[in-house]
Amino acid sequence: MAKSFNPLAPRRNQFQAKSAEIKNKMRELLDLPSNTPISIAELACMDEGCPDLETVIGIMEPGKPITTYKVHLPISDIEIEKLKDVLIQ
Amino acid sequence: MTMPEKIPVFLLSGFLGAGKSTLLNQLLEDPAFHDTAVVINEFGDVPVDHLLVRRGETTISQVSTGCLCCTGNTNISKTLFDLHFAGVYSATGKFSRVIVEMSGLGDPAPLVNALTKSQSVKRSELDKAINNIFYLAGFVTLYDVINGADTLDRHFEALKQIAFADKIVLSKTDLLDEETSEEDQKAISQGLSEINHAAEISDRTKVTLTDLFQPRSYSILQKDEDVLGWLALEEAISADPDHASHQENGEVTPSRHGTAIRTFSIVFDKPTELKRLHQFLTVLQTSAGARLLRVKGIVATKEAPDHPLVIHAVQHLIADPYRLDTWPDDDRRTRLVFITNGVEPKPVRELFSAIIENNRSSDSSLFQRLSRRVAGLFQPTDSKSKV
Repeated sequence: MAKSFNPLAPRRNQFQAKSAEIKNKMRELLDLPSNTPISIAELACMDEGCPDLETVIGIMEPGKPITTYKVHLPISDIEIEKLKDVLIQ
Repeated sequence: MTMPEKIPVFLLSGFLGAGKSTLLNQLLEDPAFHDTAVVINEFGDVPVDHLLVRRGETTISQVSTGCLCCTGNTNISKTLFDLHFAGVYSATGKFSRVIVEMSGLGDPAPLVNALTKSQSVKRSELDKAINNIFYLAGFVTLYDVINGADTLDRHFEALKQIAFADKIVLSKTDLLDEETSEEDQKAISQGLSEINHAAEISDRTKVTLTDLFQPRSYSILQKDEDVLGWLALEEAISADPDHASHQENGEVTPSRHGTAIRTFSIVFDKPTELKRLHQFLTVLQTSAGARLLRVKGIVATKEAPDHPLVIHAVQHLIADPYRLDTWPDDDRRTRLVFITNGVEPKPVRELFSAIIENNRSSDSSLFQRLSRRVAGLFQPTDSKSKV
């Protein structure tokens, strides 16, 4: 019998799912080991003409300062295939 | 010479309307918490939360309108320092525990950083002093079982609040319908465990306040990798002037909430009729839906002007209003605070004016127009106004 859908239960969280995709892509683009910590945050963007929210990606390589990349979009709107553009900043 | 013991600080979080103020009210009536200082952090331009929380005689309440997470480490450190100072120099202000009620939109990372950073990390003298007096003894997050799943999908802060907790409390389980099985409730807990495997999850109707606020060791090392990453990234972002929203005492702090999330208030001098208030809330809720994140306030009614009505609404849910025995302060005006996501204040104020002030509730075309504007079925102004 098919399991019934429970609308109250937290679903696979979209932020976690998208964050995992972004992390994998950034590791691939930067040729980083799979265990390099990467953190992602969503913050308000105060720049005129930008969307309300931007995403900050932090790369935490051992022994180095954290490198941050900004994408001027909320996490949910980021297109994975366009992430290579942030490296050009 | 023995050093005095550090004072435990608990963070109480939960998205807008999860039940934090209700829990605080219960806690302040409990004699076991008579020595507790409470810091209420409110996101709004007219503070009302402190009016809705009844104070015990020995409790110190402080209120700030703005997010501690947006005003950074300095503000939480300064607030705790002021509390400590009041406790030392006041006969009635002594306390042995602090509970910080975070804003419903609060990001835990800056507060946890402020309370857990080691002495070796570069930091202000104030932060160092605070770490010698206080320690983070627990992080309790309320999870609203009715709206929580949608909230977690829409708001990044809600995800973080769950991830940082060492105790998660399921609230509003009493509102689940009888059809919701025990298995369904287990599924809710399992879903939360996937976000935070280490936290204890309990039902609000079954857990005791003493258990929730028993001092313990809050260790970030037991948290998932995401939490450690957010804390480290928080440090990096705080040092980045591009994210500055305020500068206090030379410190740069990032802004977290997009301009779509905003707060505004309505203050009204005259008592209103209950039926009109109900009509206003119903139209507002129907029009704005889930974008009406929170409405809270205190209302003067014609039916009982000496006993103000307290109202709470969260997204699709309007809680049963209740009356206070008396006004909590000298101000006897109606004060309503709205926290919305993409709903402009102007049409809400016009709706209030039409129904409450001008009694134009029979003007159906006006109603239809205002409802459409509240619902966002018009082009909003593209303002970058700061909330």
